[in-house]
Amino acid sequence: MTVEQTEAPAEATRWLCEMCGFIYDPEEGDPDSGIPPGTPFEDIPDDWMCPICGAEKSDFRALEPGEFPEM
Amino acid sequence: MITGYGHFVQLAESLQWDETTIDLTADAEAWPKLEQEEFDQVLGLLAGFCVGETSVATHLTSFQSAASTDDRMVEVLQAQARDEARHARFFDRVVREVAEIPGDTMADRIDALRDRISPDLLELFEERLPATAARVAEDHEQLTAAVGLYHMILEGVVLTAGQHALLQALKGCSVKMPGMVKGMELVLRDERWHIGFGSRVIQSADVVDDQMEELLTQGVKAASAWGDLISHDDIKHVEHLHQRRLKSVGIKFW
Repeated sequence: MTVEQTEAPAEATRWLCEMCGFIYDPEEGDPDSGIPPGTPFEDIPDDWMCPICGAEKSDFRALEPGEFPEM
Repeated sequence: MITGYGHFVQLAESLQWDETTIDLTADAEAWPKLEQEEFDQVLGLLAGFCVGETSVATHLTSFQSAASTDDRMVEVLQAQARDEARHARFFDRVVREVAEIPGDTMADRIDALRDRISPDLLELFEERLPATAARVAEDHEQLTAAVGLYHMILEGVVLTAGQHALLQALKGCSVKMPGMVKGMELVLRDERWHIGFGSRVIQSADVVDDQMEELLTQGVKAASAWGDLISHDDIKHVEHLHQRRLKSVGIKFW
């Protein structure tokens, strides 16, 4: 008999606005700006802006898994 | 969601700058060549910043005492107070060295510029903010409401609108003023994390319905505080940013 091993789904990468600390979580998206939940950061249009400070997409960086646990 | 207070302390440390090292020589040479309309708009906005930044730098102390149970928040507020004092010194340096506004002290120069500032702007920074700071000093439970006024309205709406308008005006001027542009960009960069921090406080707080309504209506009204120094389109843009920011921190009002 074999035991099926299932891998936990990889956590989607979250992105940090380096200007104001806002974190884009792909699971939440940004529905108020027309970005539905489940949208990876890479798929957001280039003219999207940080909902908190108005910074550009290029001002974000990918967070390492577990980075900034203090929420 | 917004990152924790520790991040803002680190961010503030990494973004320090010195207003005395900005070269304003070219700006001072260009200033007399400004066209009248440019002169009125730029000096009017500078006047507003002298009042606004001086007031916010002064009254942030009350917030620190109200946050005294949270060491991390106090650290962030201290870092922010350092920024605000630097901004006030930068704008005072510009009006002194570039616009050559007379006066022995910053207060003297503000008095000399007072006629250029709208009554609404003066009311926000010289009456409402001091009154709010006094309330939060007396009753620390008022901290969320105070952050709502200070970070979300005054910084997120009023100062942001003025900063974008001044930067836009400087870049569109008939003469170049690179020192002022450089300083404004650095001020704007600081303000982004201040607004992020305020948004974090609001997001964590239990904001009740009437506070939500007040944040929305005050923000929309405050967007017009600069009078005709800012275009209607820019006012609408800042209102939109304010509403979007409130939604992002969980304040749903429609």
